[in-house]
Amino acid sequence: MTKQANLIVSILKPYSSLLFLNNKYVGLVLLLITFTNPSVAISGIFSIFFTILFAELIEFKESYLVQGFYIYNSLLVGMGVGFLFSPSFLSIALIAIASAFTFMLSFMLNRLFSIYKIPILSLPFSIVTMFIYLASLKYSNLLSSLINNAIAYDIDLPLIISGFLKSLGTIFFLPSNIAGFMILMLVLSFSRILFVMALSGYYFGITLHSYFIGSFEQALYDPYAFNYILVAVALCGIFLLPTLKNFFLSLIGVAISVLLTDAIAILFNYYSIPVFTLPFNITVIVFIFILSITYYRGFNLEIKETPEASLSNYLSTVFRFGGTHLKLSLPFSGEWSVYQAFDDEWTHKGEYKYAYDFVKKKEGRTYVNEGLYAKDYYCFGESVLAPVSGYIVAARHDLVDNIIGEVDRVNNWGNYIIIKSDSGFFVEISHLMQYSLVHKVGDYVECNTIMAKCGNSGYSPEPHIHIQTQYLGVLGGFTQEFCFSEYIQERQLLFNCVPQKGEIIAAVIKDRSISSCLHFILDDVFEYEVYENDVYKSDVEFTVKMNNYSQFYLQDSEGNELYFYNDAKQFYFYNYKGKESHLKWLFKLAPRIPFVSSHKLSFVDILPIYLLKTKIQSALIEFLATLNQNIYKQERQYSFDGESISSKDGKVSLQAAHKGLTLISYNAIQLRRKL
Amino acid sequence: MEKLAYEKPTINKIDFAMASKYGSPIHTQKIRTEIDGVSVNELTEKFGSPIFVFSERKMEELYNNLYSAFSSRYPDVQFGWSYKTNYLNEICKVFHRLGSCAEVVSEFEYQKARALGIEGKDIIFNGPYKPYEDLKIAVQEGAKIHVDNLFELDDLEKIATELDIVIPLAIRINMDIGVYPQWSRFGFNYENGDAYEAIERMYKSKKMKLVGIHSHIGTFMLDANAYRNATTIIMQLKEQVERDFNSEIAYIDLGGGFASKSNLKGIYQSTDVIIPTPDDYAEAITNVIYDLNKSENLPKLYLETGRALIDEAGYLLTSVHGYKRFPDGKKGYILDAGVNLLYTSTWYNFNIETDKHYEGENEPSLLNGPLCMNIDIIEENISLPPLHRGTVLSISPVGAYNYTQAMQFIRYKPAAVLIDKEGKARCIKEVDDLATVNYKEL
Repeated sequence: MTKQANLIVSILKPYSSLLFLNNKYVGLVLLLITFTNPSVAISGIFSIFFTILFAELIEFKESYLVQGFYIYNSLLVGMGVGFLFSPSFLSIALIAIASAFTFMLSFMLNRLFSIYKIPILSLPFSIVTMFIYLASLKYSNLLSSLINNAIAYDIDLPLIISGFLKSLGTIFFLPSNIAGFMILMLVLSFSRILFVMALSGYYFGITLHSYFIGSFEQALYDPYAFNYILVAVALCGIFLLPTLKNFFLSLIGVAISVLLTDAIAILFNYYSIPVFTLPFNITVIVFIFILSITYYRGFNLEIKETPEASLSNYLSTVFRFGGTHLKLSLPFSGEWSVYQAFDDEWTHKGEYKYAYDFVKKKEGRTYVNEGLYAKDYYCFGESVLAPVSGYIVAARHDLVDNIIGEVDRVNNWGNYIIIKSDSGFFVEISHLMQYSLVHKVGDYVECNTIMAKCGNSGYSPEPHIHIQTQYLGVLGGFTQEFCFSEYIQERQLLFNCVPQKGEIIAAVIKDRSISSCLHFILDDVFEYEVYENDVYKSDVEFTVKMNNYSQFYLQDSEGNELYFYNDAKQFYFYNYKGKESHLKWLFKLAPRIPFVSSHKLSFVDILPIYLLKTKIQSALIEFLATLNQNIYKQERQYSFDGESISSKDGKVSLQAAHKGLTLISYNAIQLRRKL
Repeated sequence: MEKLAYEKPTINKIDFAMASKYGSPIHTQKIRTEIDGVSVNELTEKFGSPIFVFSERKMEELYNNLYSAFSSRYPDVQFGWSYKTNYLNEICKVFHRLGSCAEVVSEFEYQKARALGIEGKDIIFNGPYKPYEDLKIAVQEGAKIHVDNLFELDDLEKIATELDIVIPLAIRINMDIGVYPQWSRFGFNYENGDAYEAIERMYKSKKMKLVGIHSHIGTFMLDANAYRNATTIIMQLKEQVERDFNSEIAYIDLGGGFASKSNLKGIYQSTDVIIPTPDDYAEAITNVIYDLNKSENLPKLYLETGRALIDEAGYLLTSVHGYKRFPDGKKGYILDAGVNLLYTSTWYNFNIETDKHYEGENEPSLLNGPLCMNIDIIEENISLPPLHRGTVLSISPVGAYNYTQAMQFIRYKPAAVLIDKEGKARCIKEVDDLATVNYKEL
């Protein structure tokens, strides 16, 4: 991006930030709307101008500015000054001083707050404006340019509607119902969730306030009611996910802000300082502080352009990739049966409840003959495979395997291995066979590497594999919840699930012939001939690219981008940017390719809604998903046999040892790889 | 209540050295009442004694376990049923049905495979001795010929000239993989350059081309690393040949030699402890192929496993014909099966189980076969309770090599029974009679 383009983005982004949106076009529209009060508009632009100038002066990194993050507080301050004073040399000088200060304050507060993962919101603005208003009481020279904003540009509307619109406008120092209406329409077109939250927050706050003060009308006239809107939006849609639960949480937040607004107003009125966004800042910061520190489930960990996009991203992650659970592969190969699951009847209890025990069963029995000897048990001596990639941090294998029916009560865990996974958590596997360890402490093992043999040491009445995850790398650490990233059950490949007691499941062993087909490297080019009904149409090529966030994607000549990722056991697409294209179809046809061969397997995947539905349908589904998340869960059935992945839409083929996909076909279209 | 049989009292020295943490061996009895649900007594009553019994269920289980260990890691794996391990027609059929092709080492085995309907292209023809005429037939039928020596190469060149074709061949190589004694009798040596020279010779003659590389590093290999080393050398040679002769080696063959869970004499650990799992073998081999493959295609991987797929599926049922007390106090049982049927008794300790629980304490016993030969001993010193005349003993695992190497010596070769997956026993080979023995005598 050129420097000029960057500059324009830096100017526009702060405007959209005020509505919690991150979009330069929204910024542009908002900038235009501010011109309903030219003084506010001009002062606003000046403040951005001065902030960028100051940032340049102290050689601040450009990339920070593009995000608009450190500028919107200055913008608010600038608009605040413009709201009070019409532009004059003095007022502009005031803006320049205030902008530099706000910018630094923003940066400083952000550094401090980020330790606790809390946003600064418009706290710097609240603080700086407080100072400006206090100081300006003494600046008689400025008084000449003081403007009376009481009679703004309004149209005649019932108070109950007008009050809301004015409040919305006030966020931009435009207390006019025309400006409010325009902002509302902008919000509606971008996010239905924001729209609903703005309305709910406002009217809930007003209603509550009116009960306290005894007058509905007076409540509607309250100039600081916009705090309710901001609190509602921030707590249900922006910082927290837009869900029904968070909706009620946000109403509690609104109620708190009602109280704060009145309290602060009484104090501030004494010094003629407007309350502005202080109640909103206090309420939301307190909420986020506690919710982030307690790992609240409804927390929005990845704030996207709109609440809809955030929700969509969250649901995709949960449905497709099992959310934030710790993920393991199975610690064996072949078919095994679950002997004890989570929170089970014998030993998986209390702090140790997140553990699995596996045995091998045939015809309902775990042993041959009478099962009097350990070697009669099917699983005794079977290979134990690494369930994650990581370093072995502790291990022991000197304990004898028990006689059947006896247990070692002293060394409960028996022979064991603890691996520190690459993701940071620890996996502990127990009851290994004596002297069966292949690796030693300090070795790095890849997922699926053979590590030891299944034995009967420790508190083990019969040979089995015990596996658990821990946050600490010590023997006997408390267990943490996890899921198995992939396994096969009745020819169905399941992802991120937990098997139930007694279920028979088979492990997925990585087939490197498939993973090597999908090992795409930057600038690999895949050329295809496009056929429609077997008639040659054109050529198309996909190139492997990487963006600034180190995300890899396939790009076609029209600039459409299909993002992919390779993890230990599968290749998958996870994001698409662009218009209708072959790449978009590819996402639909093969959303993931497991590295497993020689089985005819079927699996279910849940695709992002934008791939499957029209824009309007997607918008509706995304909105309704706030009430019922399962609406978003659009399951699609795929089958895979190691060579091709097929679904009702078409088929994608690959060929061992040939990098890339050899055939992509859907409807009457066929993309044939040029080799 | 049945009247208890009279047992003459004896005095035995109790050998405390034999007691272990598992308790005194005096009272433990190993019992097998049935095989796949069919009573062992019923089997001997119906089909005679002695008798070989094979479990199809177990064969399929062993096959699937080993096959899936490979196929889950590697896309193109083909098992070849090693005929010499057990070439009873019905046994071969089971493995062919499971997906195996045939691996033969003589013209006789080749003919047997063809008679079973296996096409030439699905037969791997191995071995140091391939008669000219039979080699020619195999070439004509498109069999996969694994060359063992230079004389064979001469023969093949001649055949190629006669038929005016270029023969696709595989070469058997031997190498030092760190396991001794080294199997250097078969194929061409890698380290001294014989293998490469032989390949050079093929290409120079323009009558042969190399399509496969084969090695068979030994039998009952207890270290999966040996396969890692062998695969490494094969892959290195493959790359060298592909580069030097601009050709493509379509397949590699790691032979067999995977250990089964039988007790090799001289090894005192439990088989579960010492024997590598299918995963161990599969991981060792496939990882090396992936790491070292330089060509565009992955080679097809052939394995010629015999023992590991059948040994544990085979039992020999034999009955006690009588017993006597030797002067040293040891009890000696005369069985109707001896070393004539248990060729592998020289190397392996068998698992010997009685058909029911017997009253009385265990005592050191000796198991004799029916041969009138001093060497006919199955077990020299086994702890057994007092057995009766007619007691059926199950000897296992004997699925590999024992039937094919069983001798018609002194007695007739016994019958064989296959218990199918439904648990139904079916005779697959009747007991020989005078006519069979006299058949070709003039």
